[in-house]
Amino acid sequence: MSCGKPHASPCTEVVASISAYIDGEVTAEQYQVIAVHLSECPPCFDEEQAHRVVKGLVVRAYGRTRAPATLHARVRATFRSVDGQ
Amino acid sequence: MSAQVDDPGTGADSKKTESAPVSDAELAAIFESEAMGYLDQLYGKALQMTRNPADAEDLVQETYTKAFAAFRSFEQGTNLRAWLFRILRNTYINSYRKAQRQPHSTSADELSDTQLLDVESRNPGGSRSAESEALERIGDPQIIEAMGSLPEDFRTAVYLADVEGFSYKEIAEIMETPVGTVMSRVHRGRKSLRSLLADYARADTELDGDGPASDEAAGGEL
Repeated sequence: MSCGKPHASPCTEVVASISAYIDGEVTAEQYQVIAVHLSECPPCFDEEQAHRVVKGLVVRAYGRTRAPATLHARVRATFRSVDGQ
Repeated sequence: MSAQVDDPGTGADSKKTESAPVSDAELAAIFESEAMGYLDQLYGKALQMTRNPADAEDLVQETYTKAFAAFRSFEQGTNLRAWLFRILRNTYINSYRKAQRQPHSTSADELSDTQLLDVESRNPGGSRSAESEALERIGDPQIIEAMGSLPEDFRTAVYLADVEGFSYKEIAEIMETPVGTVMSRVHRGRKSLRSLLADYARADTELDGDGPASDEAAGGEL
């Protein structure tokens, strides 16, 4: 994974940090370094985009789950009965 | 979770600043007001793990029962949502999964780097942008299928980060593992997922024709 051009930060390090970068789990300093690299390096940029797509797909696939109303009542009944003892 | 309920602690919690003992009724009221709001989220995670609504309901019920029983030892003002998710996952791992002997029970720690590299390197060439476009056309059932074929440690880290928006620090608390391990699990999980989904996309659209993809991890969808 490299576009063959020199970068201030190695592609391997950038790619290894892509998930943390997307999730907002890098420092401001790291964020800047990666953002600059992505703007210069199409292969790493595509890598970042693919990871963002995957993250979005997971959100889409699971994002709308709601528990049945009956479960709310059932759970409340459980600890209310415990409390009543 | 070693601190006492009546420990003033950080003093950040508005409900309990006095050090008087809490009655069972008070504790139940606090639990109900603070914990019940997470039921939908816990159910979503339970459904992702069990892939069965009835089992997910039982798992959530058991989680709340355990959490309520242990609530006196929960340190008020700390992360209740993460605490509940940890109980949920431990309950699943300790009881449900052992009983079910599910096929998707591989731990990420049991997979060697070589095995993961095999998965990751199956998409060596072609246009990544075209790949992203193809990925976006994949349906939710296939996403869930692919998630189901990941090792549980990867799947849970990805789910908690993406669906629930937990920070890596919170996921570390839930999974009882270092933050660095969480970072690795999220990243490797997404990479594996992407590779599996690229196989689906290729099967659906003959994306780039760069040869047949091996399918040892994709659950026979091809």
